[in-house]
Amino acid sequence: MAKQKAPKELITEPILDNNPIALQVLGICSALAITTQLSTSVTMAVAVIIVTAFSSAAVAMVREYVPSSIRIICQMTIIASMVILVDQCLRAFLYDLSKELSVFVGLIITNCIVMGRAEGFAMKNNPWDSFLDGLGNGLGYGLILIVVGFFRELLGSGKLFGYEILQLKSVGGWYEPNGMMLLPPSAFFLIGIFIWILRTIKPEQIEAS
Amino acid sequence: MGLDDFKQNKDKPFNTLVVAGTLCLVCALVVSTAASALKSFQEANIALDRKKNLLLVAGFTDEAAGGRASIESTYEEYFTATIIDLDTGEEAIEECRAALESYGKTFPDDEDNAKLIAGYDQFKMAGSKNSKVADRVAKKENICNLKSREKFSHVYKVKGESGTVKIYVFPVRGYGLWSMMRGFLAVKPDFQTVEGIVFYDQAETPGLGAEVKSKLFTGEWPGKQIYDDGGEVQIRVIKNADDNHSINALSGATITSNGVTNAMKYWMGPAGFKNYIDRQKSGGEKATSSVTTVVKGANNG
Repeated sequence: MAKQKAPKELITEPILDNNPIALQVLGICSALAITTQLSTSVTMAVAVIIVTAFSSAAVAMVREYVPSSIRIICQMTIIASMVILVDQCLRAFLYDLSKELSVFVGLIITNCIVMGRAEGFAMKNNPWDSFLDGLGNGLGYGLILIVVGFFRELLGSGKLFGYEILQLKSVGGWYEPNGMMLLPPSAFFLIGIFIWILRTIKPEQIEAS
Repeated sequence: MGLDDFKQNKDKPFNTLVVAGTLCLVCALVVSTAASALKSFQEANIALDRKKNLLLVAGFTDEAAGGRASIESTYEEYFTATIIDLDTGEEAIEECRAALESYGKTFPDDEDNAKLIAGYDQFKMAGSKNSKVADRVAKKENICNLKSREKFSHVYKVKGESGTVKIYVFPVRGYGLWSMMRGFLAVKPDFQTVEGIVFYDQAETPGLGAEVKSKLFTGEWPGKQIYDDGGEVQIRVIKNADDNHSINALSGATITSNGVTNAMKYWMGPAGFKNYIDRQKSGGEKATSSVTTVVKGANNG
């Protein structure tokens, strides 16, 4: 790391200035799959925040002992254990949501954000800073998930957290749901729009062409 | 030596091995501790989820299947579970107890066998491949990728308003593309008309095969006819469903759809619940014991 960052920056920077999805375009696949409802988006966001934060901290703790030849597999082992832990807890306490999320909790292991932070930051920094960095990146990912989940559930089924907001035509209301919002491509459009708005506000994020 | 040695010479082969070994051991310990500590919670959730799906397949509202308390009370009020012998089609709670005991598994001997019925895990028994509790499935008949089939199965009865049985629910399962799909099939007392179907445990492709659990698919089932006039299982999942035996297939998930068809064919056929159904239809009178002779009269009642 070129310069030492203040703890607050570590958390806030990845949310808007260096968002893992919007700027680095990492971790898109799960963002497409589980954002049809707000409740699954929030659960997934929390799960990823926990996994990135704690796995970064754990990786940072052992970073000085891990031989460079096997460092990636060591990071994977830590991340995978963390993900299984989260998955087991979800199954024990939030069974319905864990059924809804199905394989995607397990797939946090392959989420590039978690791995990216472990390799890119935690291997070079102390556990506390790594924890904050993981937390920040998890929040940045979670923010996008929740924004996308909000619009997809609202426009796609007229509900938020399962509660009716826009009364659907099929039950005598006025709102004709947009079926495409329930399909994965709509998440692409929403993420695209989010990136567009973000870069309009913060033009420094636009890459030189 | 000591920790400093691992820091300074971490690329030495021996140190690499030690670090890798220790890390794996610690992670394995954490994961297995968590898994066994949370097991009882998870099992309670799974049991509750079964009951919830039983309520849903029998046509209870989402509200009745909402919270833990309401699921338990509705289930208690309307459902009776029993254990049957799949070969004879008879209710066989005591036989099941005896078989389980000889297999080395005992249940407390309570009056109405509630603990035995609730605790009996037919999937585990089928998986055990022990000849006391499961039969090998002949290759020719093995359309559901079962390998072996349990001797005893649950059957659930739902009480109607007049106290008679309104709906029978059978546990069915079949192999799709990736996974064993487990579900419940609810039928009317004529054992011919489908009341509902639900798949509560599957790991098919999300968005394609996993749509077996969607209302769009299961919503087509109520009212469909299971058997044809000859008593053969006719209900099936096909492209462009056009009669009262067929259900529209899931697009992009042919193998999953075929898996559902096979599950119906197997579990509603003589290897599954057909013997029980025939026995129920003939008014519980003693039918001939051989499996093959009980294929008559499965017409719409």
